[in-house]
Amino acid sequence: MTNWKLVNYGCFMPPELTDPADALAAVAALRRLADQLEEAAVEQAMRDGWSWPEVAEALGITRQAVHKKHAKRLIEAGVPLRRR
Amino acid sequence: MAAIDHYLNTVIQHARLEAFDDGSATLEAHHLLLGIAVAGENAELIAAGLGPDQIRAALQGEFEHSLQTVGVSAAAYRLPKPTRVGDPPTSLGASAKLAFDRAFSRARTKKELRPVHLLLGILQAEIGTVPRALALAGFDRPALIARFSGDPA
Repeated sequence: MTNWKLVNYGCFMPPELTDPADALAAVAALRRLADQLEEAAVEQAMRDGWSWPEVAEALGITRQAVHKKHAKRLIEAGVPLRRR
Repeated sequence: MAAIDHYLNTVIQHARLEAFDDGSATLEAHHLLLGIAVAGENAELIAAGLGPDQIRAALQGEFEHSLQTVGVSAAAYRLPKPTRVGDPPTSLGASAKLAFDRAFSRARTKKELRPVHLLLGILQAEIGTVPRALALAGFDRPALIARFSGDPA
């Protein structure tokens, strides 16, 4: 099992990631990119007429969670929101 | 209100706007650095090549470099920029708290606190977005610390 992981680690990780500083910075950057992508994608979906349950299902989170995170911003931005 | 309070308030207000524009829920050290660069008392910073545009370019470079290490291109997707409305964030993130802790530890009392102490508190971080961005952009962080603290390099 350990060997399998080591082989795959060696196969898939670029050389830079032997430095933990680069790996940790990549985590932070990916989180930031994911947040930016989520903001833009949710707004685009709602402008295209998606409902909260549809967006939530696509993101794999609850409707309440997606609503809590994005509703205020989208309402203030004047994005038309479908209830269902 | 003391001059230092006015200064810190101005920096934080600018930093809040930077964080807001960044889509960040918290103020981080790099937002404070940008806040310092656009607030007053920044002539020395600009003289050291750290104007707002240079800092933004360095931060963007760090973001793109960090993504590239895992094979992700920041420019690979094209979605409309999300609309940002509401109030800019007010909470300090971990890196900003550390910067303030380091700034306050440089001054023995609050009366001794000067604008440069916050800058030094940010520059002192050896791990995180700011030191990586500065290093990738070719800045010598220890030399900057020596320059701003008035110590010989």
